Amino acid sequence: MTGLELELVRLTKKFPGFTLGPLDLKVEDEILVMVGLTGSGKTTVLNLISGIIRPDNGSVILDGSEITHLTIESRKVGYSFQTPFLFPHLNVYENIIFGLKKRDEQAKKIYVKKLLDDMEISHLCNRKIQGLSGGEMQKVSLVRMLAVEPKIILMDEPLAHLDIPTRRKLRIEFRRVLRRYGVPVIYVTHLEDEVYSLADSVAILSHGKIENKGKLEAIVSSHSSHFVSEIFVGANYIEGKVIESKDGITIIEVGSDLVETLGDYSTGSRIGLLLRPEDVFLSKDAVKTSARNVIRAQVIKLVRQVSLTDVYLQTDYLHLRAKITEKARNDLGIKMGDQIYAMFKAISPQIVREDS
Amino acid sequence: MKDRNLTKNTPGRLKRSRFDMIFLVLAGAMVAYVSYPIVNIFTLLKPTTFLESMVRSEVANAFILSLITATISTLLVAIFGIPLAYFLARIHFKGKFLVRLIVIVPLVLPPLASGALLLGIFGPHSMLGKAFPLEFTQSVLGVIIAQTYVASPFMILASQASFESVDESYEKVARILGKNRLETFLHVTLPLAKTGILVGFIMAWVRSVGELGATMMMAYNPHTISIQVFEDNAVGGLSNALPTILLVIVLSMIALAIFYILRKEEALKPIW
Repeated sequence: MTGLELELVRLTKKFPGFTLGPLDLKVEDEILVMVGLTGSGKTTVLNLISGIIRPDNGSVILDGSEITHLTIESRKVGYSFQTPFLFPHLNVYENIIFGLKKRDEQAKKIYVKKLLDDMEISHLCNRKIQGLSGGEMQKVSLVRMLAVEPKIILMDEPLAHLDIPTRRKLRIEFRRVLRRYGVPVIYVTHLEDEVYSLADSVAILSHGKIENKGKLEAIVSSHSSHFVSEIFVGANYIEGKVIESKDGITIIEVGSDLVETLGDYSTGSRIGLLLRPEDVFLSKDAVKTSARNVIRAQVIKLVRQVSLTDVYLQTDYLHLRAKITEKARNDLGIKMGDQIYAMFKAISPQIVREDS
Repeated sequence: MKDRNLTKNTPGRLKRSRFDMIFLVLAGAMVAYVSYPIVNIFTLLKPTTFLESMVRSEVANAFILSLITATISTLLVAIFGIPLAYFLARIHFKGKFLVRLIVIVPLVLPPLASGALLLGIFGPHSMLGKAFPLEFTQSVLGVIIAQTYVASPFMILASQASFESVDESYEKVARILGKNRLETFLHVTLPLAKTGILVGFIMAWVRSVGELGATMMMAYNPHTISIQVFEDNAVGGLSNALPTILLVIVLSMIALAIFYILRKEEALKPIW
């Protein structure tokens, strides 16, 4: 299932005190993460696409056909909410086959088994909903949604209610499954790390309007507006290809730069790392320390914030931000255009993304 | 020992004891007030009289008539009342408040007044009475009309509360998964609200069995079990009516036991 495309044309919805749109957006076979602060209209966009609410103006076009006036059930849309809303009177298997039509029982069983295997939850097949953990419920909910073969998938912060380790794990699994499924996905969140974990593209929604849209790297590095920097205030995002992985140490290639991190990953796969600016050390000279990553970069921007300074660095392929005290900057004498060394330990980055 | 004295003398402990005692006495008095008349039946009732009453054909007929008419009335209330309850729970429309008030009218009206109102519509000299060649009064149909009217709020209110307790998001999910509104209602809303609806069904049925005032106005004959109790008491005094009363009590207790079992199941349901 490839080549599907969703298009929103001048989509508008007015509420008392808030207007969404007019919104123009095109989503191809990719995961588009829609980011915005609370009240920016993210969920409204999903509700308009799914038909839960009707627009005042504009069109929703899916796979070349206008679906603006179709009923919810005839749109072939998959929608995952913050709460999984698995039907409590049905078990896991019955939940998954709920939306399936015209398949004989044996075919249904084989089909469901394949989906459950793919999500690695076959063992839950005959379990009651009441006994599942939050993470398991979201996985079952995703399988139930995929079972009806939707033409587009909408996800409204489905991991919001989960604990942080489960969320981290599920983000990577969700991306793996969703990329394999190959339909347009709109994933709504206000969390920066979910953007890095899942996005091919990012759309920034602010006060009911799309402020910016583009590929992940372009959006993150642009910091084009106050709002974008408000969302992406945190970590450095580094994505690269695994060229070596053994004994729990992985080396990734980012252009001509090499970055070491912990973990075992398949050679050739791409992984994404988050690195906190506080974990980046700076030096004028190449000094020998326990840090496994030493990168020579140019200072391209200095932003002073009270007693701290953000130092923006750039190599041919890497963009890094380091946070140091103003006193440290003065002591080192760091100025715009300087060539300096950025260092961080292999243990510092957090893996947020894995694409085989 | 020292600890126990300390606990006893704390003001909180003292207050709680007084509170418990007062409430225990009041609650006990209430239970005694409700249960004593029932227990008292066994002191008044002679086994021979009971057996004699049980073999009286009019008691058996009244008993059977009540079972049948109450069941039909409850089914009628369910057929018309459940969709109404769903509308009241889910749909926002002008005049909803008024409809909600109308629904509870049979609950707050004295049953005799309800019966009188029904007579005005279904009586032999009414428009409907003249228009249809049917015996609306003094007939089984009259009993059913009266019971349906009086029992309707129990079914509607219980079902409405039950529908309101079902998160609408389940219905949205079902629609997104490809089910139309009717399929969503049958496969999701109804199963999730079923316990509350069954409770309403039982309450409406018990109310129909026990109905007297409206039924007397609409159809004194044929006798339902409640009218039989009334007549036995009028003709032969309390001792004559006691066996039939006991029969009604047993029947109601069975229905209430089912009601409580369902309520317990409902309480055990997971909350989402």
